[in-house]
Amino acid sequence: MFLPQDTARQKITDLNITVSGCENYSITNDSFNNKKLYGLIKEPHNNFEVSITGTAESGIGIFDEYFDDPYRFLILKAQTDLTKPGEKLNEYRKSLHLDEFYAPYDKALHIMRSLHETFQYNPGVTEIHETAENAFSLGKGVCQDYTHIMLSLLRSEKIPARYVVGMMLGEGSSHAWVEALCRGYWYGFDPTNNKLVNDEYIRVSCGRDSSDCSVIKGNFYGFTTQTQSEAVSVEEIITKD
Amino acid sequence: MDDLIKKSETINKLLARYGVKFGIYKNGEFKEQLFPFDPIPRIIKHDEFTYLEKGLTQRVDALNCFLADIYGPKHIVKDGIIPEEFIFSAKGFLAPCDGVTPPKNIYSHISGIDLVQSKDNNWYILEDNLRVPSGASYPMIARDLQRRGAPEAFSDNSVLDNRNYADLLKEVMDHVNTGGINVILSPGRYNAAFFEHSYLAEKTGAVLTTGKDIVCENDNLYYIDYNGRKQRVGAVYRRISDEYLDPMTFYEESVIGIPHIFEAYRKGNVALINAPGNGVADDKGIYYFVPKMIRYYLSQDAVLMNALTYLPYYEKDMRYVLDNFDKLVIKDVAEAGGYGVVFGSSLTAEKKEEFIALLKSQPRRFIAQEVIDFYDLDILDESGKSVPRKADLRAFVLSGDTTRVWPSGLTRFSRNPDSFIVNSSQGGGFKDTWVLSQ
Repeated sequence: MFLPQDTARQKITDLNITVSGCENYSITNDSFNNKKLYGLIKEPHNNFEVSITGTAESGIGIFDEYFDDPYRFLILKAQTDLTKPGEKLNEYRKSLHLDEFYAPYDKALHIMRSLHETFQYNPGVTEIHETAENAFSLGKGVCQDYTHIMLSLLRSEKIPARYVVGMMLGEGSSHAWVEALCRGYWYGFDPTNNKLVNDEYIRVSCGRDSSDCSVIKGNFYGFTTQTQSEAVSVEEIITKD
Repeated sequence: MDDLIKKSETINKLLARYGVKFGIYKNGEFKEQLFPFDPIPRIIKHDEFTYLEKGLTQRVDALNCFLADIYGPKHIVKDGIIPEEFIFSAKGFLAPCDGVTPPKNIYSHISGIDLVQSKDNNWYILEDNLRVPSGASYPMIARDLQRRGAPEAFSDNSVLDNRNYADLLKEVMDHVNTGGINVILSPGRYNAAFFEHSYLAEKTGAVLTTGKDIVCENDNLYYIDYNGRKQRVGAVYRRISDEYLDPMTFYEESVIGIPHIFEAYRKGNVALINAPGNGVADDKGIYYFVPKMIRYYLSQDAVLMNALTYLPYYEKDMRYVLDNFDKLVIKDVAEAGGYGVVFGSSLTAEKKEEFIALLKSQPRRFIAQEVIDFYDLDILDESGKSVPRKADLRAFVLSGDTTRVWPSGLTRFSRNPDSFIVNSSQGGGFKDTWVLSQ
């Protein structure tokens, strides 16, 4: 699973991790520089829990660090199986007249606003591995679908863009949004809420699409059925200074 | 040589007894079939082999530079030698490998380079196999059995000994080993090349495992033997494809992989042979760019030629392909094992139209090549008469401390007189390959 880490915009303190039945976990970084916790439990068990608490100081800076080498993010310009556009998305992109905008930032902003208008928030319509094209054809979905669709459009415009998983003040589950590289800086766009990412957001992980950065992922061997639940709670602590 | 021919039936029987088989999955069913051995060897003269050796070493060195560049600084894309579409959206490009440096910076330790010889005696590279090329064990054991039956044939004809493959392989494993034992990771008994996995383990002294007794702990890999003793693993010659290697990094449903093996590799605590992610370099689309890579990384001209190839991705090439469709062979970049190969002349008018529409809509997916007029090799047919057949040669190039070409190789031939496709998965047979020492 992924852990939130320090960035130019946020600072994580007193991180407290408990993993049931596993004292020997490791922490590593992946190719997208996400901080990842992993481990193995050999003993038979019928329950597994992970809990992470901590404090995030947000809104420290507006930008991440500056990247002057656009080639560093070539991977994030390529479409993936989930973001690859089909007929519907290509048509939609044409209807947006993105060539009227010059700066990547303006294109991204226009995409976010239009998509928020066009696409409807409605859980239970799309599936976990829904492609951007399918979700767009259905016309409704969740934050993951908004994000995949926006990534698809940005990448078709040759703008490097990444999928971000994180948390938002007041939400009961994890959230997803887009980061687009605009003139050397990563900007966060949240098409689900039609909002620029600000100090209400805590960033956890990023990748090419949802499959690179799902909060938790695992496997078990055995003949049984399983249920899984996830809960996220973000409360605001306001400091005086 | 007559001796060898007389004993060919015995040798085929012995090969069957030793389990020299090739497994094939067809219509969901697993079938094993013998890999038919033909006693007439392919003979490569000393000078010719020196030439091949030079070209193959150069090619594999450039491919290793390419892999280190793509998963590192990506200069070749920045400098505009290869368009980014051919790399970052290719199936073989694995994002988790980005920024990971394998031990000793070697990506392709064992490369299987397929060549053909044309009627005018030129050699052409047909394709590069940098993931898990198989086949070395077949000529190894065939040579071993033939030497028992007719030892003079080899000394009289000054044939270079090819039984050192296992030593070369072991040297490569030891060179990249990060401190621990060597293991060969096989998907198991029902894999097409299980015979080879067990044979190479036996010959190199590596532990043969199906992964059930390997665990990853604290970013290290351990082998747990039948006594429960834990030994660190320093090098894994894995015969499992990238997708199945680690369910936590790649294909989640994989039950033949080792969970978290990729994390140990990422930290530099174990060598994986070959490195994951090599598929980006042996893609049929990338093949077109290999001579350019040789110039780019090594500042040399390619010694060995590619078959004349066109990329419909480039407009000029697309026009040529459409104008000359009937004399070209078109290959699907994503397919392997002789599948997805279409000879322009073999299509009916209707099929041709369909195919051209597909080609136009997905130009990146195909390459087109001039058909090479193969130099045929003689084989013995069922009645013992020698008949000419199409054949290729898989050369094995091993990269460790230095890059070396195994003085032998796998010569595969097509048993069907009209077929150009020699792949063992499509029913071909094999021959011994003699490299002469003078």
